[in-house]
Amino acid sequence: MTDPLDEVDREILDRIGRYDPPPPDLDERVLFALALTGLDDEVARLAETVAPAARAGEQARTITFDASSRTVMITILERPDGLVRLDGWLAPGAALTVELRRPAPAPPRTVTADDTGRFVLDGVPHGLAQLVIHGTTRVVTPSLLL
Amino acid sequence: MWSDAQLGTLLERARDGDREALRELVRALDPVLWRVARGQGLATEDAADVVQTSWLELIRRLHDIRTPRAVTAWLITTTRREAWHRRQRARRDLPDGGTAVRAVPDPDPPPDERLMADERDRVLWRHFEHLSQRCRDLLRIVAQVDRPDYTVIAEAFGMPHGSIGPTRSRCLAKLRAALTADPAWSTP
Repeated sequence: MTDPLDEVDREILDRIGRYDPPPPDLDERVLFALALTGLDDEVARLAETVAPAARAGEQARTITFDASSRTVMITILERPDGLVRLDGWLAPGAALTVELRRPAPAPPRTVTADDTGRFVLDGVPHGLAQLVIHGTTRVVTPSLLL
Repeated sequence: MWSDAQLGTLLERARDGDREALRELVRALDPVLWRVARGQGLATEDAADVVQTSWLELIRRLHDIRTPRAVTAWLITTTRREAWHRRQRARRDLPDGGTAVRAVPDPDPPPDERLMADERDRVLWRHFEHLSQRCRDLLRIVAQVDRPDYTVIAEAFGMPHGSIGPTRSRCLAKLRAALTADPAWSTP
C-alpha cells in the first residue's frame, strides 16, 4: 500500500523530523498530570502567563488557571537560594486545602488558603508540579514547570 | 506505532485502571497531538499545555467514550479545539486586537534557515516551503512517528483514510525531485 522508503527518503524524513519534535519531557509531564487525576476532577486551563518581570531584582511570573468553578492565580518568585516561592490566590476566595504535587518520591505539600483565598507555598524546588484545590469539586491544574 | 484497534484496547485497559496501558497510549499519541497543537500556531509552551489539557479531559470522559477505537479521533478533536481557543484568547489579549497574529500567513512556519548550521537542512527547508500545506502537514507528521498509523493521521488532518499512503508518496517524491535537482543538495 505504501512505497518502501529508500535511503534518500529516510534522510529527508529524518531531517524533517529533527525540527520541532515534541519536547523530550512531554510524555512525562502528561503522565505526571494524569497520575492522580480522577474522573470527577475539574480541569483548570492555563489562561494567561505574564512574562518574567524583574521586580526589584527578583524574577517573577504570574500564571492564571481557569476552571468553571474557580480561578487559580499563582505568582512564582525565584529565591536567591535557587528555590521558589508561590503566592497563590483562589477566586472566589475560600479557605480550602491547596495541595502541591511533585513527582515521586517527593511528598505532596499542603497548605490552607485564608478566607480570601490567599495561600503561600515557600521553599519549593524547581521542577514539575501540579496544584490540586480540594473544594466541593476537586480542581486540578495541568502540570507546570516551576 | 499502534493501530487504532490496539489503541482502543489500551484505552479499555486504562479505563480499568491499568496505568501501564495509559502510559503506552500517551507515548503513542503525544507526537501526533503535538503536531496538531503546533499546527494551530501555538508556541511550544502553550502547545505542551494544550496536549496535557486534552489528556486530562480524556480521563474525565473515559467512561463516556463508547467506542474505545474512537479515542484517537476524540483526542485530536479536543486538542485542535483547545488549541484554537488558546489562540483566540492570545489574540484577544494583544493590545492591538491581534492584527500582528493575524498577519502571520503560515500558522506552522518552517524553521528559520539562518539558525541552521547544516547546509543540507537549509536546502531542504527551502524546497519544503514550496510544497502544498497538505504535503507539509503530512510529511511533518510522518517524519515524527515510526511506521505511522494512517487512520490516526487521516483523523488528524481530516483526510480520507485511503488517500494518506498515496498522498505521502506523492509529497515525498515531489520534495525529493526538487532536492535532487538542486546542486546544493546533490553535491556533498
